[in-house]
Amino acid sequence: MRFSGFIILLLSLPAVATAQTVQPKPDTTHPDIIISRQLAESEHLAVGSFVRLATDPAGTTARQFRIAGIYEPTPNPSRLGAVPREVRMHLPDLLNLIRPPSQSAGTEYVSTINVGLVDPHDAAAFSRDVNARMPGAIARPSSEAAGSAGPFRVLERFHLAIASVTIVAATVFLLALTIMLVDERRETVGVLRLIGLPVRRILLQILLEGLLVALAGALFGLALAVGSERLINAFFQWKYDTALIFVRITRDVALTCTAIAVPLGAAATVVASWALLRRSGLRLVRR
Amino acid sequence: MKALRFAARSLVRQPARAALGVLGVAAVGALLLDMLMLSNGLVVSMRDLLDRYGWDIRVAGGDLPLQGPRIRHASTTADTIANLPSVRAALLFRIADARIDRPNVGPLTAQLVGVEVRSAPGRGVVRTSPPWTIVSGRDIGSAAGDVVINQPLASASHIAPGSILTVRVSCVAEREALPPTTLHVTGLAEFPFSGVNEYVVGGTLGTLKTACGGNVVDEVDLLLVTSTGDADGAAAAIRAAGLGVNAMTNDEVVGRFQQAGFSYFRQISSVLTAVTVSFAVLLITVLLTVSVNQRLGEIAALRALGLSRSRVVKDVLSESVLIVGTGGLLSLPLGWLLAAGLDNILKAMPGVPAELHFFVLEREALAVHLALLVLTALLAAAYPMRIVSTLPIAATLRDEVIG
Repeated sequence: MRFSGFIILLLSLPAVATAQTVQPKPDTTHPDIIISRQLAESEHLAVGSFVRLATDPAGTTARQFRIAGIYEPTPNPSRLGAVPREVRMHLPDLLNLIRPPSQSAGTEYVSTINVGLVDPHDAAAFSRDVNARMPGAIARPSSEAAGSAGPFRVLERFHLAIASVTIVAATVFLLALTIMLVDERRETVGVLRLIGLPVRRILLQILLEGLLVALAGALFGLALAVGSERLINAFFQWKYDTALIFVRITRDVALTCTAIAVPLGAAATVVASWALLRRSGLRLVRR
Repeated sequence: MKALRFAARSLVRQPARAALGVLGVAAVGALLLDMLMLSNGLVVSMRDLLDRYGWDIRVAGGDLPLQGPRIRHASTTADTIANLPSVRAALLFRIADARIDRPNVGPLTAQLVGVEVRSAPGRGVVRTSPPWTIVSGRDIGSAAGDVVINQPLASASHIAPGSILTVRVSCVAEREALPPTTLHVTGLAEFPFSGVNEYVVGGTLGTLKTACGGNVVDEVDLLLVTSTGDADGAAAAIRAAGLGVNAMTNDEVVGRFQQAGFSYFRQISSVLTAVTVSFAVLLITVLLTVSVNQRLGEIAALRALGLSRSRVVKDVLSESVLIVGTGGLLSLPLGWLLAAGLDNILKAMPGVPAELHFFVLEREALAVHLALLVLTALLAAAYPMRIVSTLPIAATLRDEVIG
């Protein structure tokens, strides 16, 4: 039910307005922080500026920090549309900032500990070990963290389902078109039958023709997709102010598309021709 | 009507291509309907969930409910809000992490929701609903330790109303090693904002505090407020009270979600709607054009027999209308089934409430669907209509006869 558990540090805007008038100068008494590009842009902050941060809107426990850098946040699809106004600081500084006056230092908790192993292949065994030895803690290898229901996986399944419906619709139309196109060549096929060409020979010719047309169509489709890839990414990256890549035509995607489109196109041509080829040559030329 | 009947006969003469054309339109139309349902579905569904229990204002510590810091000094804040003249009642809402102990199998990770209603003393008995719906058994009473649980938890832990639930609840840190507490399950309930596979327990705030062993500060995740009638005015009054909280009406919450998280699906649906309509127009145009080109001699003969230019144009338009119309009708049940499948796929996303729907059928969506299909039929017929309207009768007949 809780949408996310991250801590939001509220920026004390009046203090920022004051801070902007302060000239940047080397200062070792104020802890360093880095801020997201979006926050820097929206509040007109620069490296070297001083800001006051507090965990409550009244700013009762506000502390002054120095901006040491500006970073581009890692794109996060689950927070798409939300402008990432983020601050990163050293953990001791964060604990000092959020600790209630009644709580003594050293009794705080952290929500997650990221562990780097000497041998990454030990991740599963290490997780099992931690789970067995530390009740109350849950350890998982990073590769399993997203699980099968991660936003990426779900969106992938959604897009795959839409692609499947599109393929079904395209196949139906393709069949209708090939039936009409084959019908247009009824007399030519009839003449070929009358001069002695066997059905298998004509069918092979039709299959090859279908393959060539389907291959040309698939290549054109891929060229169109590659051409529009940059356009779609540019639009959505501008729309959501993110570095997230929305469309990427990988080798696997291109191969899958070709592997579906070419046999489908060729098969549609053969299926549409089959009904015609079963008739006699005389019927085909309408004699 | 004559033109329609004539067009129907033309289509019946070529059943394979007519059937395939209709099926193609049905598939494309189903996708189009789904994209229209998706464009506004989340907003409609979210508004329905928010409005369901009569709480018309959400008060949170952050920009959005349950996304930000908790509300501190919750009791005082709730009392102050409840005493505002425009407020009828306020409900404190606190979530804690819980582990459900099960005999012989591993524990389940769940959420314990604690609620408590506050209202001004002089306003008599204020009837309010807790943010859940009882499915079986009874709701929690005033007795400490009474809880309701959701169906997934009942199934996973084999617990029914009347049973005892053993939980370890942590209110301070996310994972604390706490002693177990026993709670009395009074009923099964639906929690509108719980995820598909989330396990939820609901009780009073007092029960939650007891389960936490008293190790809990005076904080809540959310305050649900019901106004005396003017939600906007009550929200403004709460903001003006200087409590350091963010009060939003349900409409404002929906608006914020629309900006923050829903717009991706709206954009995707807009792009796919445009692609689907273009795809349909292009393919039906090709179908009709090829069909007309194959029947040029026949059309020229009909013109020579006395059929007017407008009549043959109407025939082509009628064919387009029949293909798109029949396909459009078939697309309604197909689209409904497809939407159910796609909805199930998207609801697997983490944190999405089980009762939230991505695809919602509205009258507006149906109207736009109909309008786009009419536009498709007209656009697709435009080029073939031009061919038949400018057809030279004598030259075509001569070409067809010699050919």
